Amino acid sequence: MNWWPVIGMSKMLTEDKKYESKARVRVKKMKEFKRSLNIYTIDVGNCNILNFEMQALKSPKYNIHRFGIYSAASPRHADLLIVLGKPTDEMIEPLRCTVNQLPEPFGLLLIKGCGDDGIDPNELKLPNVVASMDGCPSPSEILAVLLKISGRSD
Amino acid sequence: MIYVYLSFIFFILAMLVTSFKRFSYTLITAASAFAFVAAVVGMRAPFHSGAYILLKGVDLSIGVDHTSAIFLFIASISWFAISLYSIDYGMNYSKKMPIFFSSALFGMFLTLTARDAFTFVSGWEIATIFSYLLIMEHKGSFKEAFEFLAFGEISTVSLLVALASLYLENHSLSIIGTHGNWIFMVMATMAFITKMGIYPLHTWLISAHSKAPSNASAFLSAPLTLMGVYGLVRMLSIAGQPEWWGVLAMIFGGFSAFWGGLQAASAKKLKVLPAYSTVENNGMILATLGLSVTAHSANLTALSSFAMITSLILLFAHITSKSLLFMSIGHAKEALDEDTIDNIRGVWTAVGKIPAISMLISGLSFSAFPPIIGFLGEWMTLEALFQSYKFPSMLDKLSAAFAGILIALAMGLAAFSMAKLIGYSALGYDHGKKAKKLPSFSMNLSELFLSLTVLLAGIFSPCLIGYFGYGDFLSGLFGVPKPFLVVSSHPIFGVMSPTFMMIVAGVIFLFPLAFYILKSKKVKKVSAWNGGIALKEGEYFSAPAYSFTIEFILRKVYDMKEIKSGKKRYVSVKDVTTFLYDGLIKATKVTSKALSVTLMNGHVYSYVLYVMVMFVLLFFIAK
Amino acid sequence: MSILLAHFKSNGKEEFITQEKGGIRKESENKGFKNLELIENRNEFIVDVFNGGKIEGDGVFDFRYGPVSGIGEAGVFHLYTYGERILSVKIDTFYKRRKLDEKMIGMDVNDALKIAERVSGNFSVSHSLAFSRAIEKAMKVEVDDKTKRVRAIALELERIYNHIHVISKLASDAAQLVLASHLSELFEDSLCVNEIFSGSRYLRDFVTLGGVTKVPSDKALNSVLKEIEKNKKSFTKLYKNSMTSRNYIDRLHSTAILSARDAAMIGLTGPSLRACNVKEDLRIKDDIYKDLKIVTDEEGDALSRMEVRAKEILESMEFVENNVKKINSKETDRMTLQGKGDGLGWCESPSGAIIYSIGVEDSKIKVLHVSTPSVFGMAAMAHSIVGNIFTDFPFALDSFGVNFADAAR
Repeated sequence: MNWWPVIGMSKMLTEDKKYESKARVRVKKMKEFKRSLNIYTIDVGNCNILNFEMQALKSPKYNIHRFGIYSAASPRHADLLIVLGKPTDEMIEPLRCTVNQLPEPFGLLLIKGCGDDGIDPNELKLPNVVASMDGCPSPSEILAVLLKISGRSD
Repeated sequence: MIYVYLSFIFFILAMLVTSFKRFSYTLITAASAFAFVAAVVGMRAPFHSGAYILLKGVDLSIGVDHTSAIFLFIASISWFAISLYSIDYGMNYSKKMPIFFSSALFGMFLTLTARDAFTFVSGWEIATIFSYLLIMEHKGSFKEAFEFLAFGEISTVSLLVALASLYLENHSLSIIGTHGNWIFMVMATMAFITKMGIYPLHTWLISAHSKAPSNASAFLSAPLTLMGVYGLVRMLSIAGQPEWWGVLAMIFGGFSAFWGGLQAASAKKLKVLPAYSTVENNGMILATLGLSVTAHSANLTALSSFAMITSLILLFAHITSKSLLFMSIGHAKEALDEDTIDNIRGVWTAVGKIPAISMLISGLSFSAFPPIIGFLGEWMTLEALFQSYKFPSMLDKLSAAFAGILIALAMGLAAFSMAKLIGYSALGYDHGKKAKKLPSFSMNLSELFLSLTVLLAGIFSPCLIGYFGYGDFLSGLFGVPKPFLVVSSHPIFGVMSPTFMMIVAGVIFLFPLAFYILKSKKVKKVSAWNGGIALKEGEYFSAPAYSFTIEFILRKVYDMKEIKSGKKRYVSVKDVTTFLYDGLIKATKVTSKALSVTLMNGHVYSYVLYVMVMFVLLFFIAK
Repeated sequence: MSILLAHFKSNGKEEFITQEKGGIRKESENKGFKNLELIENRNEFIVDVFNGGKIEGDGVFDFRYGPVSGIGEAGVFHLYTYGERILSVKIDTFYKRRKLDEKMIGMDVNDALKIAERVSGNFSVSHSLAFSRAIEKAMKVEVDDKTKRVRAIALELERIYNHIHVISKLASDAAQLVLASHLSELFEDSLCVNEIFSGSRYLRDFVTLGGVTKVPSDKALNSVLKEIEKNKKSFTKLYKNSMTSRNYIDRLHSTAILSARDAAMIGLTGPSLRACNVKEDLRIKDDIYKDLKIVTDEEGDALSRMEVRAKEILESMEFVENNVKKINSKETDRMTLQGKGDGLGWCESPSGAIIYSIGVEDSKIKVLHVSTPSVFGMAAMAHSIVGNIFTDFPFALDSFGVNFADAAR
């Protein structure tokens, strides 16, 4: 029998590092999200790398729970909607519907991904876009932006 | 006495003016109101007419004593509501309907007020025959109506045998102050439980209810089964209260309750579900009656009378709630012209708020939601059964525990099935289906009246218990003033006060309500979350899917089969009791064919031989 | 038995591309293939090849899952059911249709390669490799052995992280949270190995036409070796321990069973087919892979698929270890590609065969057909899940390792 939790703790999997990103974050007022975020991710047509990066972000290495970041099961429980990719024509309506379901106050983080397959999400005039990232950022960059949004770093 | 006569006159008047449907139904409503007054008067001071001597020992008499007053009180509320409902609902059916309706009510009234066996049987038979005609009013219900009649006649024949034995014993046809033997008891019980639809004699009830017009279903399910309970109570007062009857009643009642709940949980047709709920409730009533008898035979008088008032409260809850349920379902069914639970979604928006609320209240009553009357009934049932440890005999203890287990299961299943019924019909998403415009003023009025009755009777149920003459079980404790606390035994075993439950719940919910109303402007309102696109027709969770899990778990009991034919898939579920009757029918056919071939084959010799053998046999038996 | 993977018309005659005994062949006659309609409709929807999609009946309804839901991708699963039991599945792929294969036509081959990589980001190497091989064949060039070896290492690295991801998802579906956490850590580690090896976490821009962009430095190769060794050790331990957990095994065992015959008819390839006890792998015929052991399993259920993937991870890790030692950081010659022609390129991606059939003229793409494994994986999922219940759905879906990006292109 293995004491998995103990083994896990002894491995010190979580990295201790300052996360940095160049993306600009526009939150209406500081501490709007009170240092905690419930995130909901929606794929609108990315090439699957961003989906994988979101999975990687949830790995123990980044341990996002220590920053009060949790993933919500429904957009109705979320503070921040992370839009992954550039929307295909078919996904614009579901995206708008999902944005409409978010409770106030909410924010949108657009991660556009590589390529130019769909429509630039900035053109959709979605409300409360707090940050927008180009390309396929790594988990640590995404985490840096999340920390800025939640008001834990400048 | 005058009110009884007035009621009779109005019933008969209603039959005469049957071509003016509305007027006729109004007269029936008035007659029911007088019956109610008669019950109220009779509750305080029993009265009866003088005896009309038909033959020697056959003196006819009617009257209201305390027992019949209670039953008349309960029945007349339901009569009143159903006939009020029929003023508008009856417009959809023929001009003959009021005469059948009025006669059936008249027959029941006669049974409830009868003081002799002759009147009792006449009323009984009138009610049965006209109920049969009422079921026939619905197109294509011949088979079901005939099944009803067949079981009705089984009931009447057993009743006749029972009363014949009563006459032989006492040389009088009076049903008050006489004594019966065990033959009377068995045959009368047979007659009455057939009427109540106790397992395995419930099949007629299901098929008849689902095919009859809704006012007739309400009538069949509520007041007509009340006749059975009344008969049992009467029978017990005549035949004494032996232990074996109590034990058998508990076992049969418990099993019937369980079976009703089980089948209700898998029911998909709109009116089959309440019909099985009737089987379930009547099972509980029979079991509590049985408990009362067993307790009486063991000299536990407090428990005996507590079980008795329990069955009365259960009866009250069942009669009022079931009438209400059938009425509101019938309303929705007629308006939307559908007959499955799935297809009448969105009653709230499509049909109206009153039918939806009525369904909600009656359904909650059957799922024992406090403080509605059904809750008190079921609490008392369990409370009474818990006290079975007081029985000295092991058999009594075991059978009470057995009944208790089955009834507890039945209650859970009932809550499950009612959640299905309410959840899909009253509270479900709207289909967007257009409802027919019906003249619905009297329907709404009657539903409102019964909803209030069910709700208020629940909140003020201690008063009801007191009114029925069981003030012993009312007390005050823990700051609850007398008589708002129901106690289940002396010394105290368990207590419950629906009145104060209501007050506390009101206070607890008032603050959130006030908070919600104050904040409601800031609340963001959006349509339901369905994965980003709106829900299409055909994507709604269906009612059969709701019960699939339980059907699968109990697939042996339900004889559940998952059918696959071409592109179609569905689940078939059966009430296995019907196999019993199918077998019986088959056996009868086979025997009669065999007999016709062997004996009645046209050969004189064999026939003569048969007569000879029979003669010899009879000779020996008679000797 | 031959497995139909692509079907199209070129110059007015029908072509069927099939896989048999580790090789891809072009055929011109229909040998009674069952999955023609599936290939035809894959841009719109995917249904069970044998029983079709929509089902009707008393109480049957469409339990829609998506397009925004827990599966995390833009696609819809229509589960037809009368309760818990799943009677039929229809999968809508058009939500994620980015029309990449249409877009590539008329493009310069080098630009088209970038797009091929983006068809499915987690199969970057597989797609770019199959694409490059097709172009190389069209222009009749042969890459040298070292390039082949470096490309094979990249392909195996991709297989490792994809398989770990699949198993991690299965573990979290079965509520084995400790295992899932350890595996997701391992997943993140393997992404870091990719970064060391190629400079990109997902091995992007690594394979190019006629070669690779950059051969990793000796230092990088050494640390790849070290990391892989470490990961191999911890994965072996995790896998060994996970197979002692009854909860985990029970949840996967006999879930979404697929027979070998059905799988082949659907067009399933890759580890999911090998889990049905079919020794079918496009790597068999390659000389570089001559030491590779092809893993198969017998039962064809979710557990078999998981076991095949787990064993393949170990095989691939060993392959990487052996082959990293054989290469040095000296740059290889990059072929210059010119001319025209038709070429068929394929590659064994982590989930099955990826095939590009390309016609080139003046370094521009004239004709392009692509066959992706997720189309057949999803169809196989739709077939194998029938008769299972809702709670089996995540196991069925995740065990095939499919994604909408790959299926819808």
